[in-house]
Amino acid sequence: MSSHREAPGISKDPVADNTDTYAFVTPNDTVTIITSYLPVQAPAGGPNFYEFGDDVLYEIHIDNDGDGKPNITYQFSFETVNTNPNTFLYNTGPITALDDPTWNRRQTYKLRKVTRRPGRRDRTDVIGRGIPTPPCNIGPRSTPNYEDLAAGAVKSFRTGEKVFAGQRAESFFVDLGSVFDLGTLRPFQDRHLIRTPPGAGVDSIEQVNVHSLVIQVPMAHLTRDGRVPRDPMSPNSVIGVWGAASRQKGMSRGSGYRRSAGPWQQVSRLGNPLFNEVIVPLDRKDEWNAVGPDKESRFAQYVARPELAALLPVLYPRTFPNLAAYDKDRADLLAILLTGIPSGVIDGFQNFTGTTQADLLRLNMAYPASANPNRLGLLGGDFDGFPNGRRLTDDVVTIELRAVAGAVLPRVDNTFTPDGAANLIEDGTFPPVRQFLDDFPYIGTPYSGYDVPAA
Amino acid sequence: MHPVTRRSFLATGSAGALAVAGAATIGGPLASVAAADTADELTPAQAAALSGPTMLQVLDAATGEVEILVEERSIVFTDKHLVARVLRATR
Repeated sequence: MSSHREAPGISKDPVADNTDTYAFVTPNDTVTIITSYLPVQAPAGGPNFYEFGDDVLYEIHIDNDGDGKPNITYQFSFETVNTNPNTFLYNTGPITALDDPTWNRRQTYKLRKVTRRPGRRDRTDVIGRGIPTPPCNIGPRSTPNYEDLAAGAVKSFRTGEKVFAGQRAESFFVDLGSVFDLGTLRPFQDRHLIRTPPGAGVDSIEQVNVHSLVIQVPMAHLTRDGRVPRDPMSPNSVIGVWGAASRQKGMSRGSGYRRSAGPWQQVSRLGNPLFNEVIVPLDRKDEWNAVGPDKESRFAQYVARPELAALLPVLYPRTFPNLAAYDKDRADLLAILLTGIPSGVIDGFQNFTGTTQADLLRLNMAYPASANPNRLGLLGGDFDGFPNGRRLTDDVVTIELRAVAGAVLPRVDNTFTPDGAANLIEDGTFPPVRQFLDDFPYIGTPYSGYDVPAA
Repeated sequence: MHPVTRRSFLATGSAGALAVAGAATIGGPLASVAAADTADELTPAQAAALSGPTMLQVLDAATGEVEILVEERSIVFTDKHLVARVLRATR
């Protein structure tokens, strides 16, 4: 999956497991960033429904000067209370409002903004305290009118941010069962070393939920010069985004308590989808999760010579001969994933952040939101889509598979001719069965535990 | 995170963290050992100033390197005598 349970260590710590990060241009010169945790939630989650970790520091980082270090960080810190100590129930009646006395276990959070500028002390501003999260979507008796209930957890602040934190429907889509069964890809199942008949894609994570942090920020708050970006060719127009979760270094457990102390140690991060999942070797995935993007040069070798590009010609004999013969570092992937695409590669486009190699979800904010988004993003000629930011509907599995197969390599190396198969690869799960929202928080209403799985 | 000597660590007023750390993570035996060392006893005000859990780990017994985790900080310092007392308390 994009980054669900992608490393041995974090797969055992779902509360801190960052699954996906999205960043896209939204109306009124804003950018919306979504980053999700708690993967693969079965909607019927009682009696202890899913929630964020009180002992986890969740962060959304924005780099606006290309050094792989955050210039702006939004920090989410949660606090959970039981209002009724005498019941085993999450709720003792229908929850019709966020202050309904029937709702026993509630979670609120503090939102802070940390601003870092060269030569100055870091500045921390508390944007809001006691911000409510909605309950999980339990079912029509416990959480009737769930959309209205969740809408009550959307908060806007005079500082310009709009925010939501809570359960949402899984937004990522992938045929996980196929991809990780020795790289079974469409439409080449009958060309695989171990052949199977052609078959349609199966979205393995349809009808599960996640917990999402969603923030909408005025663009002018994110640029290095404090202005709304209008010129796509200006370096000021590009930001790099990633999500991260940290736990304190020390923890002790006792009878009925758990205590933490010490500095925060990052345990999960995510910029580009699938980076840690299919680029970084298993033995180094948790190390990757523990460091910042400014340390990415340690892992650049795996981008330059990706294992998956070597596997494709082996798994699919006589299907990727040109890819098999290519023996140079992959300048295309190094640009897409680690530096951004400089001007001159694609006419009228750039999202270059400089020579520092860092896994950032880069977004050139000067390209307006597409009226008709192309699911292949930049690969489909849509400057507003992945890998320029990432929208909820971008088919990132197909985009990245095609890129690894060499579909865009001629842009940076005209001696290479892509194999015909490179532009045919499909994950096979588009369009996903999802109900994305037209407005903030955009990511869909979570599936109800009563209704899923269906009777 | 700045390595400090035990003396400078104590001088910064964090003595409470040091003594209570042992009690918090190693438990009774060390607490009694610490209490026996009257030079390091806490004043009531110092004890009251400590909020939240404090944890101590011996990083290197041979060199006496110790790390204290308190609030959102890590403090590393060297104190062979403290490490010796900690190790004696574990036997």
